[in-house]
Amino acid sequence: MSEVAVPEQSGVETRIEYYDDPVRWFSIASIVWGIVGMLVGIIVALQLSMWQANVHPMLSFGRLRPLHTNAVIFAFVGNMVFAGIYYSTQRLVKVRMNELLSKIHFWGWQAIIVAAAVTLPLGYTQGKEYAELEWPIDIAIAAVWVVFAINFFWALARRAEKHLYVAIWFYIASIVTVASLHIVNSLAIPVFALKSYSIYGGAKDGLVQWWYGHNAVAFFLTTPVLGIMYYFMPKAADRPVYSYRLSIVHFWALIFVYIWAGPHHLLNTALPDWAQTLGMIFSVMLWAPSWGGMLNGLLTLRGAWGKLRSDPVIKFFAAGVTFYGMATFEGPLLSIKSVNGLAHYTDWIIGHVHAGALGWNGFMAAGMFYFLFPRLYKRALYSVKLADIHFYLATFGILLYVVSMWVAGVTQGLMLRQVAADGALAYPNFVETLLAIKPMYWMRLIGGLMYFAGFCMMAFNLLMTAKGAEIVRAGATVMVPPPAAEAAWTKVIFGRPVMLSVAVALIVGTVAFLNDIASLVMLMVAGVVAVLGTVALQLTADKNAPNWHRLVEGRALLFTVMTVLAVLIGGVAELVPAVVVQAPVTQGGQHPYRPLELEGRDVYLREGCFNCHSQMIRPFSFETARYGEVSAIGDSQYDHPYLWGSKRTGPDLARLGGKYPSSWHYKHFVNPRDISAGSNMPPYSHFVSGRVDLGRSAAKVAAMKSIGVPYSDADVAGAAADARAQGAEIATELAVDGVQVAADSDMVAIIAYVQSIGRKPAPAKPGSAVAQTR
Amino acid sequence: MTDNNYSIPKVTEVPPPAQDVVVHEYDGIQEYDNELPNWWLYTLYAAVVFAGIYWSGYHILRSYDQPREAYERELVAARAKDAERIKSSGIINAGTLAVLSKDPATRASGKAVFAQNCAVCHKADGSGLIGPNLTDRAWIHGGAPDKVFATINDGVAAKGMPAWGPQLGSDRTAAVAAYVVSIENTNVAGGKAAQGDVEP
Repeated sequence: MSEVAVPEQSGVETRIEYYDDPVRWFSIASIVWGIVGMLVGIIVALQLSMWQANVHPMLSFGRLRPLHTNAVIFAFVGNMVFAGIYYSTQRLVKVRMNELLSKIHFWGWQAIIVAAAVTLPLGYTQGKEYAELEWPIDIAIAAVWVVFAINFFWALARRAEKHLYVAIWFYIASIVTVASLHIVNSLAIPVFALKSYSIYGGAKDGLVQWWYGHNAVAFFLTTPVLGIMYYFMPKAADRPVYSYRLSIVHFWALIFVYIWAGPHHLLNTALPDWAQTLGMIFSVMLWAPSWGGMLNGLLTLRGAWGKLRSDPVIKFFAAGVTFYGMATFEGPLLSIKSVNGLAHYTDWIIGHVHAGALGWNGFMAAGMFYFLFPRLYKRALYSVKLADIHFYLATFGILLYVVSMWVAGVTQGLMLRQVAADGALAYPNFVETLLAIKPMYWMRLIGGLMYFAGFCMMAFNLLMTAKGAEIVRAGATVMVPPPAAEAAWTKVIFGRPVMLSVAVALIVGTVAFLNDIASLVMLMVAGVVAVLGTVALQLTADKNAPNWHRLVEGRALLFTVMTVLAVLIGGVAELVPAVVVQAPVTQGGQHPYRPLELEGRDVYLREGCFNCHSQMIRPFSFETARYGEVSAIGDSQYDHPYLWGSKRTGPDLARLGGKYPSSWHYKHFVNPRDISAGSNMPPYSHFVSGRVDLGRSAAKVAAMKSIGVPYSDADVAGAAADARAQGAEIATELAVDGVQVAADSDMVAIIAYVQSIGRKPAPAKPGSAVAQTR
Repeated sequence: MTDNNYSIPKVTEVPPPAQDVVVHEYDGIQEYDNELPNWWLYTLYAAVVFAGIYWSGYHILRSYDQPREAYERELVAARAKDAERIKSSGIINAGTLAVLSKDPATRASGKAVFAQNCAVCHKADGSGLIGPNLTDRAWIHGGAPDKVFATINDGVAAKGMPAWGPQLGSDRTAAVAAYVVSIENTNVAGGKAAQGDVEP
């Protein structure tokens, strides 16, 4: 068989051959990058257990951790998702994918991954989690994504199957949403070839970042993999999908609700309360839509449970979907403000994401590859026994990982808030809590190693399966249906379910503009309209006519537009009031950084300090006793990007400025253990020899000025001179304490920065500057 | 039919629910159109109702405190309690601290706190590193027991001395102050040169 793509004509039977080469490439790339990403994960886990594993500045935790997350998300899961989408879409819509676009997509994506693997250890980063890559790479990502989107949507446009199966719905939602997330969050002002600053500052940047970050989890790691589940699960089980209507309800509920939930990453912070609450309540509402996917997956296995014993594909799928259910129950739980107060910044969150990444993504990937390879290479799986061992190693590995992180997170969270008899902190030194959970870090490492060993077995198993095998050229006989008379698009877009949803949304939306009593009434009205409307729709439905959703499924463009609208509502409702509308800063305030402090801040970014240190003191007495006054929204208003952080492997730094003498910082950077016995922070003695290029200071200050930081033209012109002056000041101060260090060293710059963190707009008189809250 | 006395209720035949009917097929994948599980629907509805109630309670009726308000309320209560406790125990004044500085148990616990938090800058033996020598007789911010306590408790921001009170709490701060008072004039060999004034 060697057919090539023949232009499909309507009403004529054509034989097409699927273009499965990209499926093979993406699968292999996913496995190779998966090994790399997990290996880096093992290295960073080891670094947390023993600081000596930070063998080189370029391979220190702060630089490798983003490499680990990016490799796993975008390289391992990304390539896996592309493999699944290319394989299933061609078969579901009966079209051969375009060869050129597929090749550009594949090689472009791999080039981006290589660029990430090079630039991240070199310290080029935008400092935003899972969006670290610098602006030229961001542009490349957008371009390659557009190529992928054209390839995909063009296939839909040429499809020989009128109706779109649920897997395709999820792919559509993923492709359009990821594009908008990436573009909006990556907006930055370039300063140099590989240096830029986010155009958003402080709380705004935080909100945009987690709108992105949370929905990268949603639309990169979840929805495309749900689509893959909907294709491969019934195929592997040879059982029908449990419920079409469950697919409809949970699909629309999931994509609509998911996009609102981002602020749950910023609970109890300086983010405005209304946004925090939206993040929390939408996360709670997300529970059922997420479980809808799990149910449809697991109930599809009815009558096929026997295969759990014999078929590794079903084993991995069933366990993967179960882990999905576990993680999506844990997510809403962690989004409850009080639970979050305990769990945020701790390893519980690390456990949670790994239940998703290893349990859901990793297992779905393994199941899919065990399904695909025998079919792509026309060979039985090399060893079912080895796949079984992989399954058990991986399952126990995840359990060890997740349980140790639960224990570590809850232990540390409780210790940090524990008070002694006199009402003071029982563990005033942060490092005490770290030492208490160190054994759990070793347990986690063992769990990770088990998972990694299993994954390598899979790679070997699949390699042996494919080795020397012939390439299968699968195809199908298709007939593009002749154009038929169909309902006008207006009838679809103004369909009754849409009208009801719009009506309810509009009524709820009025709450933003009404006074208290009126908005309460409107919420109740919305509830009544929703209930009565749904009942009325069901009672008056015409049993003989095709249902409304069936009409939408037949129109790819309309379906896409409606998906975009459903996704946009949440984003617009949260981002427009908070980011676009310029609200005056009501609490706190920040002094713009002096040029050397800005340079020091770039060193902080380069080293990835924000991976372990937050700069956000939450309104809890156990936090203010430890770190100082509660962080206010204005305290980080000129921070581009924001540096609130999401994990505390070390203490919070929001009020670090002025707390210790500069020589303390010098000693601490050179060897953290001289100051804090038991610390796992990597040593940064290379700050002494590193030099800051003060010739670039003016450009940096000018860039900050252009995005709204109140610098004058004189500040820009005098940037280098001011940086030198401040450097000399600090070097002199250090010299008094017997430390000789160059005034333009990385060390002096970062000391200038850390001494400025939390500084107020008007310098307070000495003695009253640190008015610690008690 | 059995011949005993039990009557068997007559069961009317009801048609089985429309389950497991294939409605579509794509690439060999068949699709049923089964009912949504009720418990799942109720979970969804309950979450939506909860969201409405939560929003109403916190943002419309404002019946509950936002995190920051709750914290401020908690803070006021904690301050009052703390003041009450200090007042009743009265441990922190020059006299009690002087007594405590002679109490071996307090000195031992103070020494432990010192080793963990102060030794970094004042050296394990108190003879001074980044911070001044505490074993001579010179004091920058006063050597009277209550002055030493105040320096530790409130810090000296301009000199890089952190305020340890909030972090350590009054018991540990008092203990470490007592310990510092107890090592005055022990003149550890090789200590940092004296800074400040020698008090009578």
